[in-house]
Amino acid sequence: MFGPLNRRAALRSMTIGSLLMPGILSELLAEGTDSPSGNDSAKGPLAPKPPHYEPRAKRVIFVFATGGVSHIDTFDPKSSANGRDGSGKDKLMGSVFPYQANPRCGTVVSDLFPHLREAMDDICVIRSMKSAHFDHTEAAVGMHTGSPTFARPSMGSWLSYGLGTFNQNLPSFIVIAPHLPYGGTQVYANDFLPAYHQGTRVIPGEHPIENLTPRTRQASLQQLELELLDNLNGDHLRQRPFDDALAARIKSFETAFQMQTAGPEAFDVSQESDETMSLYGLKRGENTSFAWQCVVARRLAERGVRFIELVDTGSRPNWDSHGEMKEHVPLAKAVDQPLAGLIRDLKQRGMFDETLIVWATEFGRTPGREGKNGRGHHGDCFSIWLAGGGIRGGIVHGETDDIGRSIVRDKVDVHDLHATMLHLMGIDHTRLTYRHAGRDFRLTDVHGKIVHEILA
Amino acid sequence: MIRSSRWGGNRLTIQNVPAGRYTVLLYVWEDNNPETYSVSVNGREVLRGYNSGRTGHWERLGPWAADVSDGKLEITSRGGAANFSGLEIWRGEYDGGRPVEIAAEDIEFFERRVRPVLVQHCYECHSQDSDEVQGDLLLDSRPTTLRGGVTGPAVVPGDVENSLLIKAVRYHDDLQMPPDYQLAKQEIEDLETWVRRGAPDPRRTATKIKRKRIDVAKAREFWSFRPIADPAVPTVEDAGWAKSDVDRFILAELERRDLQPLAMADKRTLIRRATFDLTGLPPTPEEVAAFEADSSPDAFARVVDRLLDSRHYGERWGRHWMDLVRYADTAGDNSDYPIPQVYRYRNYIIDSFNADKPYDQFLREQIAGDLLPAANDQQRNEQTIATGYIAISRRFGSIIDGYPQHLTIEDTLDNIGRTVLGLTLTCSRCHDHKFDPLTIDDYYGLYGIFASTRYPFPGIELDKKPRDFVPLLNDGKPGEELAYAVVDHQPADAAIQIRGEPTKPGELVPRKFPDVLGGQTLTDEQAAHSGRLQLAQWLTDPANPLTARVMVNRIWQYHFGAGLVKTPSDFGSRGQPPTHPELLDWLASRFVEDGWSIKRMHRRLMLTRVYQLASSIDESDAAQLAAADRAQAIDPTNDWHWRFNRQRLDAESLRDALLAVSGTLDDSVMNEPHPFPPVDKWQFTQHHPFRESYDSQRRSVYLMTARLNARSFFTMFDGADRNASTPRRDSSVTTLQSLYLLNDAFVHEQAQRFAERLIRDVPNDEAARLTRSWMLSVARPPNDDERKAADAWLARVREQLQMSGGNAADVELHAWTSLTRVLLRTNEFLYVD
Repeated sequence: MFGPLNRRAALRSMTIGSLLMPGILSELLAEGTDSPSGNDSAKGPLAPKPPHYEPRAKRVIFVFATGGVSHIDTFDPKSSANGRDGSGKDKLMGSVFPYQANPRCGTVVSDLFPHLREAMDDICVIRSMKSAHFDHTEAAVGMHTGSPTFARPSMGSWLSYGLGTFNQNLPSFIVIAPHLPYGGTQVYANDFLPAYHQGTRVIPGEHPIENLTPRTRQASLQQLELELLDNLNGDHLRQRPFDDALAARIKSFETAFQMQTAGPEAFDVSQESDETMSLYGLKRGENTSFAWQCVVARRLAERGVRFIELVDTGSRPNWDSHGEMKEHVPLAKAVDQPLAGLIRDLKQRGMFDETLIVWATEFGRTPGREGKNGRGHHGDCFSIWLAGGGIRGGIVHGETDDIGRSIVRDKVDVHDLHATMLHLMGIDHTRLTYRHAGRDFRLTDVHGKIVHEILA
Repeated sequence: MIRSSRWGGNRLTIQNVPAGRYTVLLYVWEDNNPETYSVSVNGREVLRGYNSGRTGHWERLGPWAADVSDGKLEITSRGGAANFSGLEIWRGEYDGGRPVEIAAEDIEFFERRVRPVLVQHCYECHSQDSDEVQGDLLLDSRPTTLRGGVTGPAVVPGDVENSLLIKAVRYHDDLQMPPDYQLAKQEIEDLETWVRRGAPDPRRTATKIKRKRIDVAKAREFWSFRPIADPAVPTVEDAGWAKSDVDRFILAELERRDLQPLAMADKRTLIRRATFDLTGLPPTPEEVAAFEADSSPDAFARVVDRLLDSRHYGERWGRHWMDLVRYADTAGDNSDYPIPQVYRYRNYIIDSFNADKPYDQFLREQIAGDLLPAANDQQRNEQTIATGYIAISRRFGSIIDGYPQHLTIEDTLDNIGRTVLGLTLTCSRCHDHKFDPLTIDDYYGLYGIFASTRYPFPGIELDKKPRDFVPLLNDGKPGEELAYAVVDHQPADAAIQIRGEPTKPGELVPRKFPDVLGGQTLTDEQAAHSGRLQLAQWLTDPANPLTARVMVNRIWQYHFGAGLVKTPSDFGSRGQPPTHPELLDWLASRFVEDGWSIKRMHRRLMLTRVYQLASSIDESDAAQLAAADRAQAIDPTNDWHWRFNRQRLDAESLRDALLAVSGTLDDSVMNEPHPFPPVDKWQFTQHHPFRESYDSQRRSVYLMTARLNARSFFTMFDGADRNASTPRRDSSVTTLQSLYLLNDAFVHEQAQRFAERLIRDVPNDEAARLTRSWMLSVARPPNDDERKAADAWLARVREQLQMSGGNAADVELHAWTSLTRVLLRTNEFLYVD
């Protein structure tokens, strides 16, 4: 073991050349404990950390449907019989789409999601979610950070902070978003947590992560440049032996160099079999659809990314169907098969039980008709679903009244959801704190009850 | 009291009501079928699910407290059809005692069957004598019972089903009271009967929750609340070491711990350190050469003076202030409305630093510039613009009716607390501060000052047109130019918001300064204005123990990389105490004595030995090496300043340095607004928020900063939070930063410009060109090893480039671009020793 003095001696005597001898520097850095700022511990701030207790899941795939998905027309269908077709004085309008039960577990889902309905044996639907706000921005930010008003770290950042990540060549928290949702970058911001916990946004397409492609004309030129850099940095470090940040910076160029290979490989779905592609409904060569996002999510999960978020669409057009509920049709079609495919694929690969999948939106839609055939924002109740590690499949938790206006049983708010997600990851939400501006902050603030009923 | 009768309708509006607190009672009656509705006073729901009863039923509802600030008192209902038939308005708080007598048998029922139950089972937690009142509910008087606590009215007379008291004692729902046992069946039935009878209750005088008082004398024993002392400069053993009194304070502690400081930094390290520190830019090779050539004893003092006189000084230190006041060019509502005029406030900050405006004056102008005397239009305008500090408080959401102004005011108070006082005031918004001697009264005492202030309106999704900006004077008259600034408006004290909820007003609190800081109040004459002027004076009163301490600690931190107090915006009990309390007080005393001059404080701190220490060791000196190893083992975080702290370039300095080194920095002052589209074209909504990003070659301080969408470069390199005060920057080391330095187009572009500049400046002499490349990027020439390595390396690069063709000039440019890319990625470039 190196003490600080031996470490310094070792650093001074060695030729750094980290690209040529990648092992040595990492080993040396892994011993570091005397970091001055504490947040750039030489082991790497994103090294895996032990949870509070045995986790049920190792990673999260969080799917966010932007705009407010109507619960009444999807996962909490209400009858349109007895004149509840929007034509009455009360404008009450039951599900615009037919619905039926999964034949095995009995969970009722509308015809917007035939593939997911088939997968309901593995899914727990929560019909009693309550939103923190009735406006998109606040509700979307609230769903991600717990706070609809004040800027706070996103749950992915909290998990990165609490647990680190398995693959040091990829970010710990990756957000695949073709467009930014409401609230913009705030939904994946690290806020007061150190910057390495911020979500890295990936835009589906040729170059998903910024700056991942070498810009030099020849790859060998970049290698030459890194060689000289190591040389200069090595001399520099030998004269400045007390600074782990300098060593960590050298290491980070090594990681960045490797990420140029690891990153594109993770996003390259060309190696997937035809069978897998068809499971998700992904056409070969396609790299912008939600199906592509789902395949990549699985690839990132395999490669050890801690928190993967998929945002299906941006602040417009999206699920915000004020004037016409049929706008839900193409949006549902785009995600139904890929999500069901993701579940099946994870199961086939034995990853399902260690992956927590959460599908959520910011709020539901009103039981009363708005406009020609649409619905307004409705925060008092809405539906989300969970599947995978630690979740009891085939059940419905919570209940709303017969028109879908109010929760009648087992209310779950965003803090409860967050507390439950952290719990499944082996974290006690009351103990995951960060001292900032004189206060210990938590993802769940002073709230949050674990929803034990949905746990397997 | 005003009483008015009317017939029907469900909206009553009274105009021109003087600002203040009123009590409202509403008469309703039912002329046909029962209806259920809610009642709101000034948009605040006061009664939910009221059932109007059968034909002919009438009732006097209330009392409800209402605070009028804009002259309007409006009572409305929602839901079923309501018949408002009369209104009573009382000035102040009136408990709603009925003029009618309660029937004798009702009194008897209450006294025999109800009061004993309440006293025995409820008063422990719900009376004014409770040790700690739970849920802000008092059941020991009629008005407080009707008003209820955090979950709403406890009793709705006549309505058993909507009375929370009954719900709670029935034990059917989540809400179960008393918490540990259920009442006897008879007791529950008696309470139901009482409510059904209309809850007749002779306890007419409202009781009050007794609030915490602070033992001020005891609270002031805490280090940061103690008066600022003026301690004597300590004597030290090694008298020759110290260059200044600051050094003596530092050395005394080093000697006490037997820590030996490192040697002085060399000149090129020193000038690079001082230049980045004071201007955020690298020194030019010419500046380095001049300093190295100047062997006079005050050579460094002259460098410091030159840098303090530079226009770029204000751009650098103004940026520190912008971090603290969470400066942004947009409002932060959910459509993120741009504020084209706010750049004037940014320039005000920069100009104030450059002019060395006394810090106390700087604060007074930002808080109450509009209320300060002004000698001429220019001064008046400058002071108006200064209140942009209050105006830039965050905006929220998209709505106008029911806009959460309390959150904007909270943001103002949060910022003043942290930035000026180093206190987390807003913890007291919902309850007395858990750790520091601040009460909910202290919070609402300050809140009233800003509730009496008109903030400009930047536009919001549902009301897109900005308004209430303040015109700047031109020839003594309001001109066309506007400032994003505040003015006084309808001065009134504010009511406590129970649990921080504006829909649950409690008692009025007179506007005042927190007790622990003096507890100053407004005279009647002063109370006719907002009180901002007095607040500005209280904050900058030399007797205030915090303001000067907090600021000198910040200045120290920006120079040395860490403060004497490591939690620069938390001087409360949860923060860290100072490592050098005497030095902190001594500096605070000098600061006030020097007329709050920030530039004099820079000189006082920089012309010291401790500022000029090396950050690393000279390896050839074995004795030094041993001492440094020992110091590192004892004090690895360098709390005692045995060396200088190496600091990573912050985001702005990194970008500016890249531009400066490549020779493409536009270092002009930005005296015009950002190129926002014209106001009449604004259609921003949460679906189409403002998302522009205007790039330029100007210094980073002038880049347009949006609240909702950060530039990825700034989040990547730990830029300031645009939504909350940032007291210190992180200096994280991340892979994405390295990817950026490896592959980002901006870095490659600057590297190429840098190479072009080198070839242009030094066309033929390769050795001289190498020297210049090092001088420009790291302020020193390459040593022999580096020179050899670079030469050999360039040869290999050329060889490789030649294989892929291209003419000689191209190869040369590409080879040098390759070299400059390496230089711009080195730790030596990214960190300041």
